[in-house]
Amino acid sequence: MKPDDVATAITNSLVQGGTQWLISTIVAFLPVLWTMALMLHLGRPYVLRTLRRCGLRLGADIWWMSYLLMRDALLLITFGLSWFFFEPNIVYNMALPITGSLAALFLLLSLAVKLSRRVDDDVNAYRLSTLFMVVGATLYYGPLVFAIEATSQPSLAGFAQAFTSNTNQTAALVLMWISLAGVALVAAWLFVRALMSANRSMARHFTKEKGEAMSGAAVGGE
Amino acid sequence: MNVTTLTNAIVSGINAGAEQFLEGTLAAILPVIWLALLGLHLGRPYIMDMIDRFTLRLGADLLWLIYIALRDFLILSGVVMSFMFLFPDVVSTDQLPLTGGFAAVMLFAVLLVKLMGDPDHNLRDFRIVTYLLGIGALFYFVPYLFGVMFNGVASGQLLTISNFLVSNTNATWAVAFGYITIALFAIMGAVAAGYTLITGGRAEVPESTSK
Repeated sequence: MKPDDVATAITNSLVQGGTQWLISTIVAFLPVLWTMALMLHLGRPYVLRTLRRCGLRLGADIWWMSYLLMRDALLLITFGLSWFFFEPNIVYNMALPITGSLAALFLLLSLAVKLSRRVDDDVNAYRLSTLFMVVGATLYYGPLVFAIEATSQPSLAGFAQAFTSNTNQTAALVLMWISLAGVALVAAWLFVRALMSANRSMARHFTKEKGEAMSGAAVGGE
Repeated sequence: MNVTTLTNAIVSGINAGAEQFLEGTLAAILPVIWLALLGLHLGRPYIMDMIDRFTLRLGADLLWLIYIALRDFLILSGVVMSFMFLFPDVVSTDQLPLTGGFAAVMLFAVLLVKLMGDPDHNLRDFRIVTYLLGIGALFYFVPYLFGVMFNGVASGQLLTISNFLVSNTNATWAVAFGYITIALFAIMGAVAAGYTLITGGRAEVPESTSK
């Protein structure tokens, strides 16, 4: 083997290895984000209890605002980092949890509930959002712990074979396409909803302004 | 050996090495997190003393909120970073404290008590949290100190004990402990989710109207 061949091999491996390492690191880091997001979401009663004991409105506001920002930003980041579960090449070639795409869909559903209903005021909306998150997290944790991170366990070989994306490629791709369709539907619904809501609120504002201008003109004319 | 074989070998090396480095770093940071959260939890009387001396309510509120946020965030980080103890491949490959998973379970139990009780204002709950943290620290520090950090200098019977306390030289026990940890995590997670679903995320369970 010539020095050029070694250089090519190192270059290729840095590019391929770097990509694989980045994706593997995100896959390994996603449980951290899932767990943090889940804990912050479930920890709401504790946060509220602490909030009530704040003597000043300022402290309470800072506490609540920090909690909300962290909780919802984590949800968004987790969904953003889950995006590679919807990339067929990666799902086909790399060892990923087979239900990762479904978990991401449930996370988006939880986000959609938060966007469309007042989760912090409506108990049922909060429950629905919690259910989506718990189901999503279970779909992620199960295959990750017992398949991706358990290749050394002969007793789990069957489970690992069935729940790893690159050893059960057909099922992985089918699940991915179904989840992608679900994500597209939810995203389209959110898009239409945001548009209609903006139209409604802006039209109301416009009508109010127009009415005020007309009444002002009538008063001026008298 | 051709270019492809060499490329694959380097890729495997990079991936395996980087993963072990990441897990090793997490394992090295965990004792620091444990010490810091123990210090903050046990330092509660000092913080309360300081709060009493504040003449302005704003300062007292901010100190208390920052203290709580730091303390609880460290507990949360401890649980999250201990996730590697649940992975059979990781515990059988890396040098980790044998009972590190149980330490994580104790931390998770602390969070559960904080969710369902009120350790900052209820003595019984505070005691439970303190005991859980104490037991958790023992579960982490004993195998870490006398296993992971001692097997290089130990000899004879001490080396046998030291190897027993390290996950990759006692993989059968480590994986079994991992499964128990997973089961405990799942049970406590289900309890936390159930509690939050019942309360609907409110601070207290709504009182029943029926007598």
